Amino acid sequence: MITTDAAPFPQAGRVRSFVDFYLTTMRTAVATQFQYRAANYFYMLGMVAEPVIYLVVWTTIAKSSGGSVNGITADEFAAYYIVWTLVRNMNVVFGAPFWEWRIREGQFSGQLLRPLHPIHYDIAYFAGWKVVVVTLWIPLAIGLSLVFHPALHPTALEVCVFIVAIWGAYLLRTAIQETIGMLNFWTTRGAAVFDLYMATELLLSGRLVPLQLMPGWVQTLANFLPFKWTFWFPIESLVGDMSTQSLLLGLGVQVLWIVGMFTVFRFAFRYAIRHYSAVGG
Amino acid sequence: MVDPVVHVAGLTKVFRVPEREAGLAAAARSLVRRRWREVRAVDEISFEIAAGEVVGFLGPNGAGKTTTLKMLSGLLYPTGGEARVLGHRPSRRERDYLRRMTLVMGNRNQLQWDLPALDSFELNRAIYRVPREQFRATRDELVELLEVGDLVRKPVRNLSLGERMKVEIVGALLHQPQVLFLDEPTIGLDVTMQKRIRQFVAEYNRRHGATVLLTSHYMADVVALCKRVIVIHHGRILFDGALAALADEFAAYKTIGVVVENGAAPLDAYGEVLHREDERVILRVPKNETARVAARLLAEQEVLDLTIEEPPIEDVIELVFAQQ
Amino acid sequence: MNAIRVGWLYLKMGVLNELQYRVNFFVQVLQSLIQVGTGLVMLSLVYSHTTELNGWSESELLTLIGVQILLGGLIHAFIQPNMERLLEDVQQGTLDYALTKPEDSQVLVSVRQVRIWQIVEMISGLILLIFGLTRVGSSIGALDAVAFACSLTIGAFLIYCFWLIVTTGAFWLVRMEHVLELFEGVYQTGRWPIGVYPGWLKYSVTFLVPVAFAVTVPAEALTSRLHLGTFLLAVGFGIVLFAFTRWFWRYGLRHYSGASA
Repeated sequence: MITTDAAPFPQAGRVRSFVDFYLTTMRTAVATQFQYRAANYFYMLGMVAEPVIYLVVWTTIAKSSGGSVNGITADEFAAYYIVWTLVRNMNVVFGAPFWEWRIREGQFSGQLLRPLHPIHYDIAYFAGWKVVVVTLWIPLAIGLSLVFHPALHPTALEVCVFIVAIWGAYLLRTAIQETIGMLNFWTTRGAAVFDLYMATELLLSGRLVPLQLMPGWVQTLANFLPFKWTFWFPIESLVGDMSTQSLLLGLGVQVLWIVGMFTVFRFAFRYAIRHYSAVGG
Repeated sequence: MVDPVVHVAGLTKVFRVPEREAGLAAAARSLVRRRWREVRAVDEISFEIAAGEVVGFLGPNGAGKTTTLKMLSGLLYPTGGEARVLGHRPSRRERDYLRRMTLVMGNRNQLQWDLPALDSFELNRAIYRVPREQFRATRDELVELLEVGDLVRKPVRNLSLGERMKVEIVGALLHQPQVLFLDEPTIGLDVTMQKRIRQFVAEYNRRHGATVLLTSHYMADVVALCKRVIVIHHGRILFDGALAALADEFAAYKTIGVVVENGAAPLDAYGEVLHREDERVILRVPKNETARVAARLLAEQEVLDLTIEEPPIEDVIELVFAQQ
Repeated sequence: MNAIRVGWLYLKMGVLNELQYRVNFFVQVLQSLIQVGTGLVMLSLVYSHTTELNGWSESELLTLIGVQILLGGLIHAFIQPNMERLLEDVQQGTLDYALTKPEDSQVLVSVRQVRIWQIVEMISGLILLIFGLTRVGSSIGALDAVAFACSLTIGAFLIYCFWLIVTTGAFWLVRMEHVLELFEGVYQTGRWPIGVYPGWLKYSVTFLVPVAFAVTVPAEALTSRLHLGTFLLAVGFGIVLFAFTRWFWRYGLRHYSGASA
């Protein structure tokens, strides 16, 4: 018989359980999303339309401007936008607008009852999802390469930095959108903020065009915001000709932004929970 | 003296609800100036629960049962008063507290929808840091108790409502919590399944000594499981004590069912006639007069059959709520 | 015609319904502003690196974007809500409510829903379009204006047919919503002159998903570069597509009600 004074039964180690949780959640995500591979594929096809359009437009301009725009040739544009599709798949996260649905469906309460911060579930689940997504992406990338002839000659260092940078982009975008998602706890106007964020990201992250094509003041502005490290930096690390110094510096700045945004998130989350627990969600 | 597992004193929860009227004009006005109403969902309730008790929280919809459970599980901050469970303040949501308790809500899904329940159990194992050996033993025990051996391999979405509830319960108990909060666990289930789950809760309590706080608006749940019942209505506690004593306090009467030779004879003189059914008449008489009225009936009438019964608990509860 | 009367009634009901959600108006205004804003940014960016794109000047392209947004608003307001509801009905089996009404089923499922606040999007497209035209300089003849109105109508019609054909496919392939999710992405191809796309893509967005016809032809009319041949092709295509749509819809209905295997 258990009395109230008894300590809880012995627990598995903290770090070990943490890793265990991440691996188990990732496995869950893979198993579930594999079932939905058709839906995943269609989503990806829709996503690819965007960069293909940008690519076609800039290639047309390059061709009519003597082969390049600001020094970027058509083949280099192709490389940029095809790598874009991988980076884009990698930085898909739990979207801020879906918090409203999550709260309404009552799933959030369940997360709050667990002795683990809810964000770990989101990070782990979407990370596992990437495994399925990247597998589906490969044939698409091959197809795009055959059609658009990308100019891609990365060095070993660039590949390594790229692999780290895409996961960094994933974490950074997670932090940003989870923070924006917290707004849904106070207001129903969260969607408006999200729309503004998406527009800003589109223009300042390298999602729309390589940042080198933007006017100088925009490029300067982009340096002071985190968005550049969710699209432009990962893509450019592989596609561009960055020096070792700038590659490592870029990674460093990315890490700083990740830490910074997650710190903001922690405060936002605390306030959100306080509000949620006051009004019952 | 051992501390109570659950200690609640003057617990209060007040919600501010926007006032809304129908109509376009009112909707337009409300965009400019909002009016608020205060709803006292839980109003200064106090009680204590000792280890191993199974307590039923009874009340109609909106009485404050779920709100109380949410406060005790840390989902809601109290507006006033204090609550302590296992020595912790629930609203702090300390990890150590969350590991020792569980909240099961009827009709809510915590398990992964597209995967077999077994996979979700592994997730819970990792979340609650249950050592593997312990986990396996607990899981197998629960699966056996609830008879879901062949169900745990099927994707959760393929299970019926009752089957889903059973595997949800398994998932919720894998970390062997010392306190169980069950919020309407049998809602929407068929009678057989309701019985099954009640039997399980009773057995679990017997085996592990876990403290159970159960809310329901099904009388049968409470009657089957709880020796002690707390009746709550409009956020206030109307009664806290043994189920058997509930009748004594609120419904001090018994019912006499009698069949007489002369079926049409008026029996109003003996007691309040509740209803007539063919030849059977149901009378309501005050408890302390039961013996006397029965004796008079037997003496003065041609009685073919006579039964004396406790009032059905549902009627008692209705009376309790009606009196407020 | 009764169809028109029914359509008008549904429209009125839809408007009354949506008027309650005043916040949607502000949300829509914001979204339209953002949409126009990003379109303008992209446009000026492109033209900071070139003077003409596939033969289109900046102002002409502005007009094209205006047409695309205008048509997009029309789709979001009148076509998409109905097709989404139809898909839902087919998947949930609630189509019967529409089929047992004493009105042509195709008309019914095509007009009963409306998202009235999307008209803001249409207006923003119109403003952009007019702005572009004023800067193009050359005046518009009456013929161009008529050609514009006709080709815009045909364009909307083509897109309606496309949506209905795909949604009708749901009678067989219940999980059609994935295909429809692609539409927004593909529709963005309408933002640019069709000539920029490589051959296979050009034909896809002309005949497979008739986005190019729907947007480019009216824009060409406005900028006085529409060939009669193209216009007639659009008209012919519209007629053929509508006939096919109608036949396919009836075929699908028979399948749904079990009349044919």
